Amino acid sequence: MPEDSFETGVAVGERWARTDGRAKVRGELLYAADQPARPCLDVAIHRSTWPHARLVSVDTTDARAMDGVVAVVTGADLHAVLGERMLTGPAFADQPCLAYDKVRYVGEPIAAVIGYGPAAVRRAAEEIDVAYADLEPIHDVDAAIAGTAFVHDELRPSAVFGDLRHLRGKKDTNVNYEYTLRHGNSGAAAETAAHTTSGDFWCPPTHHVPIELPFTAAWPEGDRIEVLSTTQTPSYVRQTLADLLDLPLNRVRVRCAPLGGSFGAKMYDRLEPLAAALAWTQRTAVRIAVTREEAFLLTTRHGAAVTGSMASDEAGDIVAAEADVRYDTGAYADVGPRITAKSGMIANGPYRIANATVRSRCVYTNKPSAGPFRGFGVPQVTWAHESLIDELARARDEDPAAFRRRNLLREGDVAVMGTTMHSADFISCLDAVTGAVGWDAPLEPAAGRLRRGRGVAVGIKAVLTPTISNATLQLNQDGSATLLISTVDMGQGSDTIMAQIAAEVLCLGEGQVRVVTADTDVTPYDTITAGSRSTYHTGNAVRLAAEKMRDRLIGLAAGRLSVETTDIKLTSDGVVSTQTQETLTVPDLLLGHFGARGTTLTTEADFATSWAPYDKETGRSPQVTEHWFAGAAAVQLIVDTATGRVHIEHLAVAGDVGRAINPALVEQQLTGAAVMGIGHALFDELVFDEGQITNGTLLDYQLPSIKDMPDRITPIVIQSPHRSGPFGAKGVGETAIIPLAPAISNAVRDAIGIRFTRLPLTPERIITALAEQHTEGGTA
Amino acid sequence: MSATIEPTVNGVRRRLTVEDDDLLLDVLRQIGRTSVREGCGVGACGACTVLVSGRSVSSCLARAIRYDQAEITTADGLPEDDDVIEAFVEAGAMQCGYCIPGFVLMSHELLAENPQPSREEIADHLEGNICRCGTYPEILAAIESAARRRSQSGVPIGETT
Ligand code: FES
Ligand code: FES
Repeated sequence: MPEDSFETGVAVGERWARTDGRAKVRGELLYAADQPARPCLDVAIHRSTWPHARLVSVDTTDARAMDGVVAVVTGADLHAVLGERMLTGPAFADQPCLAYDKVRYVGEPIAAVIGYGPAAVRRAAEEIDVAYADLEPIHDVDAAIAGTAFVHDELRPSAVFGDLRHLRGKKDTNVNYEYTLRHGNSGAAAETAAHTTSGDFWCPPTHHVPIELPFTAAWPEGDRIEVLSTTQTPSYVRQTLADLLDLPLNRVRVRCAPLGGSFGAKMYDRLEPLAAALAWTQRTAVRIAVTREEAFLLTTRHGAAVTGSMASDEAGDIVAAEADVRYDTGAYADVGPRITAKSGMIANGPYRIANATVRSRCVYTNKPSAGPFRGFGVPQVTWAHESLIDELARARDEDPAAFRRRNLLREGDVAVMGTTMHSADFISCLDAVTGAVGWDAPLEPAAGRLRRGRGVAVGIKAVLTPTISNATLQLNQDGSATLLISTVDMGQGSDTIMAQIAAEVLCLGEGQVRVVTADTDVTPYDTITAGSRSTYHTGNAVRLAAEKMRDRLIGLAAGRLSVETTDIKLTSDGVVSTQTQETLTVPDLLLGHFGARGTTLTTEADFATSWAPYDKETGRSPQVTEHWFAGAAAVQLIVDTATGRVHIEHLAVAGDVGRAINPALVEQQLTGAAVMGIGHALFDELVFDEGQITNGTLLDYQLPSIKDMPDRITPIVIQSPHRSGPFGAKGVGETAIIPLAPAISNAVRDAIGIRFTRLPLTPERIITALAEQHTEGGTA
Repeated sequence: MSATIEPTVNGVRRRLTVEDDDLLLDVLRQIGRTSVREGCGVGACGACTVLVSGRSVSSCLARAIRYDQAEITTADGLPEDDDVIEAFVEAGAMQCGYCIPGFVLMSHELLAENPQPSREEIADHLEGNICRCGTYPEILAAIESAARRRSQSGVPIGETT
């Protein structure tokens, strides 16, 4: 639906300015490291230089003797106190904050130096002497599956999240989790198909690089531990630290600040377990401020290999699709198992497919741990299915957009994994982006060595289910409101969105709802701020809390005016009796009720989603997710065949957001994710040599700059309201990144006739492929 | 070795004791100028940008000791009604906001040198500043609008820096 066809309210659908926009531009917003905190000792970390080795000895004698050093703590020291509780993680309890028996990646923390000043502790950390006994390193995901060297001897599920309760302990394997989907018989169907395409696809590991570096401070406060941290998951961190230190939840406080970007980098176990363990065992206040080089070691995006195929019959229906997905989760599982299942199940794409098979595995290697990254493993499988379907259309001599359009899932369709589609309008997204780039107009050939092409791709993602969000709302006697939630604003604008939802229900204006920054002493539980889930989940909790507040006001007003509650309406002017037209302002109503100024009326609500676990045999589920994200990207670009450089003339991205609570913020999420997607398509890549990152500085790791902007970028908001979304809304943070790389690659295919199967499409790769095409023709 | 320097930071003369290898970045943050931020430490992101007599400097690469008597401006020290800040606010040119003060200062430097920059000139000037949130379209629009307004109101070049 177009923006103006919705019922107009006071707040929802409005382009309200960000609540903190001016403070951000002026540089006055305080991020975690800028917050006033008590004086803390500095921490430096001594890291492994080996990818896989037993620790023989860790000699800290010289480091302890250095100026400014207060303590040196090794993994063995912490293990002696904390035992197996030292192992944490959202899926498997597999990661120690300091290695104590063996190291599993180059850069793994082994010992921490605590002392006065960053320079002093860094110098001391260099003086720690570690003796290693070499173990066979595992660098490659397929070698890890086939080999007999294991990253972990034994695994224990951590049971923190509802959707990961089915994980089992494991031994003698690097595959920590496997998801399979079987729908019909794809093998048999493919045999009789008219057209088949297949390929081996690869997405390299990448890094999030939020410009704000990770930071954690921790200190004991009597019998409690307090933590100030850059995290998207305060509720998770509180539970983890409570488990780690064996404390009740009310003795652990996790405070957040606005994040300077995150994209999945600052969640689950990053610096918090180490900071808390040091502060608690040494009874001192510590701060860990890592360098950019260290930040590269904290988490990565999963590299992923996909072997896939897709087949159609003569009529152009997709009769079979198969995908064998291997996610490289590095040394620690993090949420790799969740990614493996949730992204594996849609590895064949958002299409009507008669027979489908998926095998998706989460595999340990000796690399830094891979975790969540905007798109949550979905861009990697989308890279495969959107390349395959493009080739399948070409094999049929059919327009790739038209072929997709005929086969895309529609409202009410049951997708291959068994769940029904609702509020996921792929066709409108596809039509919007192709329309924007003039898909049906003839392509004007570029001059000389330049080649012009157009490409399109779609993307699907399921929202994480089941999850829980809570909201507490205070209506202040003066009519302003204070909202307590644990959703973390990291640039997506959640504070503004949640304020608009509350304001809509309570008929409040811009600036009248203040959102409190997450603090587990104050703000209620929220599963995570990630996976584009906040608008729907926290949004619903906020809506419910606001509706309770409205009902309470109406109840108070009915008593005061001696009329039925059904006779009272809440408006921007206050509560009004529809019979007598008598109006009371909210300040007057509350002043009358409490008999005092400055009082608060409080309501609260929780919102939880449920799912049906995967069938053990087929991997299918009638309710695998609460809702879907649907998006599309279309691009027109030019390839310079002499330099291999790609120049994007026009990029259009669309997402079905159900309902845009704030269209300006939705558009900004679409373009922001698209810019990040351009990097993933053309140059973003973590390079490893024998397990060591070789481009882990911002001099070496290329990120999209203003120079990489397309000549034109068009965000398009599609709105097919979700039946249970707050005002019909769903989230949007990841939608545009999902189809981006294949859309660009499909356009390159259109321009120069080469199908790329490995990301990114660097100028070198394009030049090499062009040279090979000259001699052989074919794929790269 | 420590030494005393006397830079003027946002119009206020400061007397600061610094070590030989103290970075301007850290010294400015220690005196509360937290709009100056570390993103990379190697001169590759622009989050630590400050203006010294109107010229941009990556404070993560600058030794504080060399800034005795310098005129330093940080984004949080710009006037309340600063036109570039207004243009950024109006254009919604911020997501997480971490990189934005750096862009604001770079824009001031650019507009002082080149009051009517083309899109390409803007991009050339801002190439070294990274916005990982991808706020580039809004940043471009903000700078263009600030330039337009300066030309319409006839503000003398460099007046507001
Ligand atoms: S921190 Fe100075 S340029 Fe990145
Ligand atoms: S606004 Fe987040 S890095 Fe620029």
